[in-house]
Amino acid sequence: MATRADTRLPYGVGQAGARFFLLVAGLLVLVGLGAYAYTRQFVEGEAVTGLRDIGTMGGAPWGLYVAFVIYFVGVSFAGITVAALIRILNLEHLRPVSRMAEVLTVLALVLGAMSVIVDLGQPGRGIVNLLLYARPQSPFFGTFSLVISGYLVASMVYLYLESRKDAALCAREPGRLQWFHRLWAAGYKDTREQRERHLRASWWLSLFIIPLLVTAHSTLGFVFGLQISAFGWYGAFQPPEFLILAGVSGIGLLIVIAAAARQTLHLQEQIPKRVFTWLANFLWVLLVVYGYLMIVEVLTAIYQPHQNEEALIRTLVFGNYAWMYWLSVGLLIVPLVVLLVQSVMRRYSLPIIVASGVFVNVAAIIKRYLIVVPSQTHGRLLPYGPGAYSPTWVEYLIVLGIAAFGALAYVVFFKVFPITEVKESDGSQSLWKTSE
Amino acid sequence: MARWGMVIDLSRCYGCRACMMACKVENNTPGAHFWMYVFRLEEGEYPDTQVRFLPRPCMHCDNAPCVKVCPVGARYKRADGIVSTDWARCIGCRYCEVACPYGVNYFNWKSPKKNQYLDWDSPAAEALEPVTKGAVPPYQNPALGGQMKDGRKTAGGGQLKGVIEKCTFCVHRVEKGLQPACVANCPAFALHFGDLDDPASQLSRLLAANKSFRLEEAFNTRPRVYYLGAPPPSTEARQIQAVKARE
Amino acid sequence: MSRIDRMTRRTFLKGSGAAAGLLVASRFLYGPLETLVSGAPQAAPEEKWLPTTCWIGKQDCGLLARVVNGRVVKLEGHPGHPLNRGTLCPKGVGQIMALYDYNRVKTPLVRTNEKGVSGRWRQATWDEALGLLAERLKEVRAKDPGLILWQKGRSKGAPFYDTAFVQAVGAKKYVGHGTYCSDAGYRAAEYTIGPSGNAHPDFRYTRYLLSWGWNIVNSGGNKLCQITWNQQLNQARERGMKIVHIDPRRLSAGPFADEWLPIRPGTDLALALALCQQILARGTIDRDYLTKYTNAPFLVQGNGFFLKAEGKEQVWDTKTQSVKPFDGTGVESALEGEFTAGGARVKTAFQLFKEHVSGYSPEWAEKICGIPAATIEKVARELSENAMIGSTIVVDGVTLPYRPVAFHSYHMSQQELGFQAFRAMFMPFMLLGAIEAVGGVRVDFTWAVHGNFKAFDEIKIKDPPYDFFLGDSKFFPINSLNPGIIAKIMLEPQKYEVSKIPEVAIIHMANPLASFTDQNTFMEAYKKLKFVAVIDPWLSKTADLFADVVLPAATLEKYEGPYTSTATYSRATALRLPIMEPLYQSKGDIDIYLDLCEKVGILYGTGGYLDRLNSALALKDADKLDLNAKPTVRTIFDRWAKSQGLAEGVSYFETNGVWDRGAIPARSYYGYAANPPFSGIRQRLYGEALLRYQQEMRAKGVGQVYWQDYTPLPTWREPTMWKSPAQYDLTLISYKLIEFKQSRASQIPLLAELAPRQLLTMNPAAARARGISEDDEVTMESQNALTGETRRVKATVTLTEAIRPDVVGMPHHYGEVAKHPWTEGQGPTPNTLFFTGEGYVTNTADNSFHVRVRVYKE
Repeated sequence: MATRADTRLPYGVGQAGARFFLLVAGLLVLVGLGAYAYTRQFVEGEAVTGLRDIGTMGGAPWGLYVAFVIYFVGVSFAGITVAALIRILNLEHLRPVSRMAEVLTVLALVLGAMSVIVDLGQPGRGIVNLLLYARPQSPFFGTFSLVISGYLVASMVYLYLESRKDAALCAREPGRLQWFHRLWAAGYKDTREQRERHLRASWWLSLFIIPLLVTAHSTLGFVFGLQISAFGWYGAFQPPEFLILAGVSGIGLLIVIAAAARQTLHLQEQIPKRVFTWLANFLWVLLVVYGYLMIVEVLTAIYQPHQNEEALIRTLVFGNYAWMYWLSVGLLIVPLVVLLVQSVMRRYSLPIIVASGVFVNVAAIIKRYLIVVPSQTHGRLLPYGPGAYSPTWVEYLIVLGIAAFGALAYVVFFKVFPITEVKESDGSQSLWKTSE
Repeated sequence: MARWGMVIDLSRCYGCRACMMACKVENNTPGAHFWMYVFRLEEGEYPDTQVRFLPRPCMHCDNAPCVKVCPVGARYKRADGIVSTDWARCIGCRYCEVACPYGVNYFNWKSPKKNQYLDWDSPAAEALEPVTKGAVPPYQNPALGGQMKDGRKTAGGGQLKGVIEKCTFCVHRVEKGLQPACVANCPAFALHFGDLDDPASQLSRLLAANKSFRLEEAFNTRPRVYYLGAPPPSTEARQIQAVKARE
Repeated sequence: MSRIDRMTRRTFLKGSGAAAGLLVASRFLYGPLETLVSGAPQAAPEEKWLPTTCWIGKQDCGLLARVVNGRVVKLEGHPGHPLNRGTLCPKGVGQIMALYDYNRVKTPLVRTNEKGVSGRWRQATWDEALGLLAERLKEVRAKDPGLILWQKGRSKGAPFYDTAFVQAVGAKKYVGHGTYCSDAGYRAAEYTIGPSGNAHPDFRYTRYLLSWGWNIVNSGGNKLCQITWNQQLNQARERGMKIVHIDPRRLSAGPFADEWLPIRPGTDLALALALCQQILARGTIDRDYLTKYTNAPFLVQGNGFFLKAEGKEQVWDTKTQSVKPFDGTGVESALEGEFTAGGARVKTAFQLFKEHVSGYSPEWAEKICGIPAATIEKVARELSENAMIGSTIVVDGVTLPYRPVAFHSYHMSQQELGFQAFRAMFMPFMLLGAIEAVGGVRVDFTWAVHGNFKAFDEIKIKDPPYDFFLGDSKFFPINSLNPGIIAKIMLEPQKYEVSKIPEVAIIHMANPLASFTDQNTFMEAYKKLKFVAVIDPWLSKTADLFADVVLPAATLEKYEGPYTSTATYSRATALRLPIMEPLYQSKGDIDIYLDLCEKVGILYGTGGYLDRLNSALALKDADKLDLNAKPTVRTIFDRWAKSQGLAEGVSYFETNGVWDRGAIPARSYYGYAANPPFSGIRQRLYGEALLRYQQEMRAKGVGQVYWQDYTPLPTWREPTMWKSPAQYDLTLISYKLIEFKQSRASQIPLLAELAPRQLLTMNPAAARARGISEDDEVTMESQNALTGETRRVKATVTLTEAIRPDVVGMPHHYGEVAKHPWTEGQGPTPNTLFFTGEGYVTNTADNSFHVRVRVYKE
């Protein structure tokens, strides 16, 4: 159903084929299922989840939802980092994936916020009271105020600034989407001083976002790291670990998305392989740092552990959670080794890089789960005995629905907006004749 | 201003769990919620077995982790030392629950009125209507709904779905000069409640005269609940006859 | 407030689209709607505190009911009641749920299907239901009132039920509870010591207490529920009393046991004899007490019977070196020794006792009881030391012997050797002179010699045919009337040479199918009953299976009593008063009996129910009930109160709740303080009558299993259950949980939540050996050593180090005691596994709660 006018826009913007609609339909179904599951939870209460009280109920009040709050927020790492790197270190060759990354950040943060809301017993109040009665001494203040507002807003502004030029370009093309691109461009003509202003603004912005990003991911770590009585949580390493693992999952996911886009939109020359090799190297560097943090933490924990700490570690390493634990470790080590070997031998395979991206994300999800749950079921002080938690279909559907919503928003967005910066070589010449 | 606290004499407690029951009826807490809980513990191996009991109310810590982490100030420390939960403000994030070292918080996973042991909406229950006027539970305590002296809604349990509730030291009774329900009812007179600041109070006298401990003092939560008459439970203590009600 | 939100919800539902929209919006923003109004300010409620008496337990504690706008919102302990002093046990607090339970029987029910299976019912009017029962009663009374069986569980308001009604209708009554509780102990005490009861300490003075099978932390005692005992126990321990806990379970004493003797079940008799042997070996005996107040110095002939002259027991007078009547003036009886009287050798009873126990050494007992000999010696030593023989103390101005050693026991008397074991347990304390002395062993709250002390000495064993109680029979000369035995008799009357079995039964607040053993027998026996009426607030298992008519009784919202309850050192009298109208169509039990008697035509006139009430309640002439007018229950209690000397009548209780009768003076408290001491009786170290019964029983040709324990001195033998095959290598014991009372509470949700399902307690070592771990479902099979019959239940295991490895424990209260959502799947009752009848009852027909079992995983 592509019209003449649309065909002139680059990177398949405005063109939707059967495959696209099939994808959208599939995602819509998942979103629908998630929405249905949430109505059940909203009406029945969270009794429909596997969550239960610590102690006499022998359950865990935090579970899948919280794990995915951390995961989604973590993923947001990629966009802004990449963008900032490009700006500050002038890594021009990363430009092609910058917008994908920025959009990924914005959406991931939105998904994080959604996950928080579904976890709340009083979601309506949550929205109101979190702003009304915000208390900075609660680590949640960081999570909500900094991450969800500051970080998200900053990223959106950045994305906007970075994309106005392309909006302006697209707006010149008559068609069903012209109004949208005009609106986006908002009078941007890509004149020299406009361009200057933008460059300066976004340079400062990226400089400002870096600490914001570090703080944001750290506060999430603090949510757990500050709980002195919760074995497996308490520790100064939680924030840095959260930050680095965020990077790992973020970069990993960016690799996967970029590869997918490259494949489906045939952007082989716009997204050259060296983008991936760079990301791959960045990824293993992050993995090394994460591995280091992990080893230091584990050694500290097992050297002379408190009785409960020891019990907790046992359940993690040999007990109920062992299979998850070792799976996640494996899914982190394999990519690390493979990518390392690649960069040493200077011979890179795109499939392997993409696979690594997938692996580290699965690992990240498991890791988040293992951070959240075991301390609640097995790390307790009073002799309640061990607890248990397993998510119900409601929780799975809701989380799946949220993820699906993200994917949907992502693909739809890049149907109405260029997925990467428009270059002279792209699209029809007509876009450029009129410029300058 | 009084500084409320509790002293539990373990040498007297025989683990009858009447305090748990008194609490439930006074505060109308939903099924599976035990604001006051009594551990029945055993240590050692046959025949050198020791059995002991350990009541566990909320510790109403002076340095309460749950208060620190609450993002909206629904969990707060009153001037008189009671750690309260404003169920009219709580957003149900359960951060207080994971932060508490003692496991005293209970979340209303479902609508409390649907979690009061029997289905009070069933046709069979209509025969009660003339007496109970539809109160759920039928023994619903009318003293719990309104605001306390500090203008916040902190009394009683089973208030609404999706919020955290826990031991209030029976704030609605204490404000009327009554003892908490568990203390008033204890058949062994093992529970004592009073003003820690008043050197003349029975509490102060008991604490002065006896060796006491508080649970997990190492974490510097500074609980307001003191134990007498026995050493702290050893790390080998195993729970027996656990009440693992999961509605 | 929830009234408000109910209305709100309705109006919203009826309301306009806008309102509906608002509803949706409000739901989204603030969760369920009730939350909008749950905080709505209260209209100042009309609040009252009504005094009454606890209904769920045994000791009838004082209650204050908080009533708001006519609705009971809480039950609290009555601060003025000496029994509970303002406190309540979990049952007392939780019974408020029983009050409101809509699963109670709401209207009279008439059965529409066959018996023996779960009932189908049609609702009936009171008039019809009572009419049906009345017809049957008239029928049978015309034939023989003795064929009416009136069965009661724990009795409340005995004058109205057990006495007046039973007399008026002429029924045979049995309050069967006792033979499953501690009646063997009662019989032993009545025969050996005099008063009716088991044994408890003098908490104000006792320094050294054997807690002998006393479930301190979960149960009470034979005379009281657990609150009062435990309050006094705490005071005693704070005074420095030491507790030696003799029980296969440690949990039953929790932290209160200073020393734990995990005894092998059924061997208490052996331990008691070993203690006697040790005390005698140490020579720490109270010669004065034994000589003056027991039959120890009586001379026994070679045939085992007392040497008598003119019907008087004889003693050896050390002054005149001759035989003299025991009560001769100036006689100084010899306690020990062998003498020649009229050419025959005679020995003092004490001498025989000494010789009897000489072989029962700690080493011997260790093999039987599983308690180290050294420990037994230690306990005997500490008993001897703490007894302070010879010391006296002044109490209430009376100088009395001070013997601060005692034991507390009751349920453990329900074992095959229970009667003799309990006699034996008294004996160390008789040797130490600690019976009814200050700080010593107490049987009842006041010293009063029970009629059975004499009666059990003079039983005339009749020839068959017997009534279905086997009264004065050759089987159980001393007879506690065991419902299980009676059920067996109903099945095979000829075996017990019984002519007539009951036809109609009125079962009032009793639940034999759940709370008695053995159930298989009851299942069959109760089918023989032509008509069964059950008076109960719930559809009990018994009602569900066998009732033709169910009459819904109120729970605690009724008049009942009177309860003259003592807290051991003080007395009080109280009534159960209606804190609200009986719910649904239920009625107070007394109202039910009044209406029933009217229907049967036995209410009015001489010999009628009202007439019987006049005497049962000991109403003074001025206050006697008019025999021709049906009074209200309140009137009856008003008359009673006035007869008691309370001018205000019943209103005294309506205002004060409890009538505190003050302290019990030492004079009426201690047997020693009686005048003459012990009212002049001789306590029975030597049970001569028991020997006589044995000989008569043998002469009448009953089996050894019946007569073997009729011995003048407690004699150890291996319990019958030990004859079970070797694979039945565990002994099952049963016990009570604090959360429940009999089979009357495990359906009350608030309580059931604390202990929702039956759990079989097992020692981890024993479990490991059988490949069993925590929470496993196992099969437990019991075996009857005599008949070979086996019985099976499935149960979930919980492990504890606080129990002997060769013992498994299972609490009562379960077994789906009533038709109720909360009893579904709650698991079995041990009563299914126990046996009644030969080998599993005492020689007094009291039921044993011991049986050999095997536990295995399918």
